[in-house]
Amino acid sequence: MSEIRALIVDDSSVMRKIVERALRQAGLDALVVHEAATGAEGLEVLKTKPVDLILSDINMPTMDGLEFLRQIRAQHLAEGVPVVMITTESSEEHVKQAIQAGARGYIRKPFTAEQVKERVLPLVRAA
Amino acid sequence: MLLNGVHAAAVAGRAGNKVHGGADEREQTMAVSLRESVERVSDPRNLDASVEEVFRLMLAIECKREAGLAVADRESVTAVVGFGGLLSGACVFRSGAGTAIKIAAQMTGMEFDAIDNTVKDGIGEICNMLAGAWKGKVPELAANCGLSVPAVITGRDYNLHVQAPEFQLHHGYRFGEDIFEVTIVCDGLQ
Repeated sequence: MSEIRALIVDDSSVMRKIVERALRQAGLDALVVHEAATGAEGLEVLKTKPVDLILSDINMPTMDGLEFLRQIRAQHLAEGVPVVMITTESSEEHVKQAIQAGARGYIRKPFTAEQVKERVLPLVRAA
Repeated sequence: MLLNGVHAAAVAGRAGNKVHGGADEREQTMAVSLRESVERVSDPRNLDASVEEVFRLMLAIECKREAGLAVADRESVTAVVGFGGLLSGACVFRSGAGTAIKIAAQMTGMEFDAIDNTVKDGIGEICNMLAGAWKGKVPELAANCGLSVPAVITGRDYNLHVQAPEFQLHHGYRFGEDIFEVTIVCDGLQ
């Protein structure tokens, strides 16, 4: 698989590293990772750097993941780029809100590398 | 109780959904209540299953609950994630400094000599996942209860006291020689 540029948005630096490790374990060896600690930071990254994949937490300070998603669409950033939410929130309501805001996938924390592989790789291949 | 960042407004909005219907546009309120589910919400097995799940999936650690375990280290790390919405309270994780360092090392693949910001971040995230997994065991709770961002406290010789909670689950767990405590404090249930 050719080089994949991923944006990982999570207020936890440890979780960003865990997500990156899971992506590499999923087979995305040629991975270039951009990181952001809030939705607002994520938007700034998207204004300057092209990406192929976005993974975002929901519960974050300043701007949460759902508002981040809405702002991506409103500002016409990263058009066509798949967004996968990785979050502790697991209710159907949260999944519905994420999908309505434009998410293409949803992974609940705690997760396994296998779950990341199953839900992220098809999106990357399709894109 | 620390509840910074809880999505209280969003949760409150969902707690009393207005339904419009009929020719006279009369409003009905579908009240969601956890009062009737209190036995399921306070079921201690949900906490054990959540702890075992988080440690197995995120750390590849098998841990087991044991009666009578208590963190006795002078230097300890405590992470708190607040609940807001139909249930208010907190999920509290507490371990000795050495155990916290081991957990963070297992999470990150890094080595630590002392409690630094990465260790605190890792323990906060463990507490966040414990809180999320626990509330996810009861669908009404998952949908109507928000989580705060984690707060992490480090230091020596301190106690966390909550006055007259609605209910409290306080369990000790062991993996190898290491022990930690997880507490669910509910100080309000609607």
